[in-house]
Amino acid sequence: MQQLFNGLLIGSFYGLVAIGYSMVYGIIKLLNFAHGDIYMIGAFSGLVFLSIVSPYIGAGWPALILGMLITMLLVGLLGVFIQRVAYRPMLKAPRLSILITALAVSMILYNTVMLLSAGRYRAFNVEISSESFYLGALRLTETRVVLIVAAFALMFIMHMFITKTMYGKAMRAIALDRDTCQLMGIDVYKIIALTFFVGSALAAAAGIMAGVYYGTIHFYMGFLIGLKAFTAAVIGGIGIIPGAMLGGLLLGLLEAFGTQIPFIGTQWKDVFSFAFLILFLIFKPNGLLGRSESERM
Amino acid sequence: MFNIKKHWILMLVAAMLVFGAFGCGEDAADPGDEAPVDENGEAPADFEGQVLIGIMVPTTGSEAADGTDMENAALLAVQEINAAGGVMGHELVTTTGDDGCDPSMATAAASQLVSEEVVALVGGYCSGATLPTLAIYGEAGIPFVIAASNATSLIDENPGWGFMINSTGLDQAATAVAQFEALGVETIGVIDSGDAYSADLKEQTIIQWEEAGYEIVADDTVQRGEVDFSAFVTTIMSTQPDGIYWTGYQAEGALLIRQLREGGYEGEIIVGDGSSAQELIDLAGDAAEGVYCTGPPLTDFLPAAQSFIEGYEANFPREPGAYAALMYDATNLLADAMERAGSFDSAEIRDALEATDGFEGLAGPVMFTEENTLARSNFVVLEAKDGRWSLAE
Repeated sequence: MQQLFNGLLIGSFYGLVAIGYSMVYGIIKLLNFAHGDIYMIGAFSGLVFLSIVSPYIGAGWPALILGMLITMLLVGLLGVFIQRVAYRPMLKAPRLSILITALAVSMILYNTVMLLSAGRYRAFNVEISSESFYLGALRLTETRVVLIVAAFALMFIMHMFITKTMYGKAMRAIALDRDTCQLMGIDVYKIIALTFFVGSALAAAAGIMAGVYYGTIHFYMGFLIGLKAFTAAVIGGIGIIPGAMLGGLLLGLLEAFGTQIPFIGTQWKDVFSFAFLILFLIFKPNGLLGRSESERM
Repeated sequence: MFNIKKHWILMLVAAMLVFGAFGCGEDAADPGDEAPVDENGEAPADFEGQVLIGIMVPTTGSEAADGTDMENAALLAVQEINAAGGVMGHELVTTTGDDGCDPSMATAAASQLVSEEVVALVGGYCSGATLPTLAIYGEAGIPFVIAASNATSLIDENPGWGFMINSTGLDQAATAVAQFEALGVETIGVIDSGDAYSADLKEQTIIQWEEAGYEIVADDTVQRGEVDFSAFVTTIMSTQPDGIYWTGYQAEGALLIRQLREGGYEGEIIVGDGSSAQELIDLAGDAAEGVYCTGPPLTDFLPAAQSFIEGYEANFPREPGAYAALMYDATNLLADAMERAGSFDSAEIRDALEATDGFEGLAGPVMFTEENTLARSNFVVLEAKDGRWSLAE
């Protein structure tokens, strides 16, 4: 039961990061390897914001929510900036070139943060009561409840945005056929920029939530979660937004329960996830929600 | 045509940026550069020549903080030695290899140091990274004073050119067992981070704990860099051991302590010397209060180290970490061995190191066993109190 909750919480972090991965892949067919680092930047920006405002309004929930909104905005803009500077000039280049560009962006981002943070782990201290209470056999803290509610709320808002708004419709249309959209009068570049903004903002939110949950952050924290988010996106069907959320939650649960199997200790957690990724790539390469279609290269 | 050209240029710029970022990264994790060895404010003395010694510590990666502290301590020792006229009229100069706390990086760093023709080496923080380098230095015939690494596996792999001035895992496991007994603990859970050092300390602790007639109720391993310990916490809450021993490093240790306390665990927690940096308490916050540590002789508790601390803080904009004193000792011991050998020949330095008899370091006298390990235990029990480590009563 406890592991179910833990799995859902971790899974929702994976899901939030995976959404950005999946959206970007859907729209410009780019595996954005820098996305994990956006998550890390989100966590660091949140920390910087908190340390600036905490003398005035403390580091409780009001500061945290404000920090989250501002960080999402700033990091979203950073995502747009990266897209404009690094990816847009490469949109018509072979796919491999833009992939390598994404790797370069990733290295630039984490090395920059390493410089600024002196490579040290940083404590993400918030003033939130860590009193725990029980719900049946489930041990909860205020933090955990708020985090999981916030994560699911963000996913829900995201889902509504994609399915119900004009912009969401445009995104889905571009994912289907970019050139036709351009001919139909959709400002493709603007929509791509918007995609990066939303994806980066969600990753930043996940970064801050992870900071609050674990209490420490590090310049390299984005690397593994980037890979996990990729796994989640593939499991759900890459390019499909609800699939990314589902994949993230599923991966979180898999890890939580996989480590409870006797003789599979915590050290096998990542092996477990990535073995699952390979199984999916072999047997169901289009993911859980993906329609099978012949590969067009 | 124009399009292709444009993209080539972009790729080139991207590549330059990447390498630029890498280059900067190394500088950043290396504040030692801020106090070059030769610029000690005095007129350069007349040296007969230079002697190159290698420093091998992690200056990047998760253990960059401790590694940099150690590098700084070695630079400080070298600076002081040179200011006092060097070793037999020769100036000591250093070159640093970054082992990244990673076996493959360490192998590359060791080969690089060997090719630079260092006459001797100091360093060694992560045992897992130090382990594969022992054979490389042994083959090249270069003596290596190992300042911090202390897994028992190093003893077996040592071809005779490594000298360990930190007590080994056997001594530490004994200290941990004694501390658990003193706390009235009867069942423990153990957890390590999968590298040579922490796995070894965990194994030694399990053996000694069971020999003492007690029970191990939980045993787990996590990966380096793990952030989520919920599986272990769940196991702990169902098996309820009286005590927990974490044998890994502080970055993961801080998270483990936080998550254990948040998960409702109220028993005793002891951490190994890999987690003895102040950073553990800073990162774990209030959760760290009352945690014990089987630690190295921390600089703060060594009466002989006061002038060292002052010298360190005057030269570097940070506090010396847990292993800085040992690294300072290692460097001075090496210089002492050169003097005693009366030579800069690697083999003669090795013999002189072997013959070391009571060299007075900050952390106490140094003497080696036949296996080149320190001939006494230097472990102490520390307790986290009011956000600082202090000696436990």
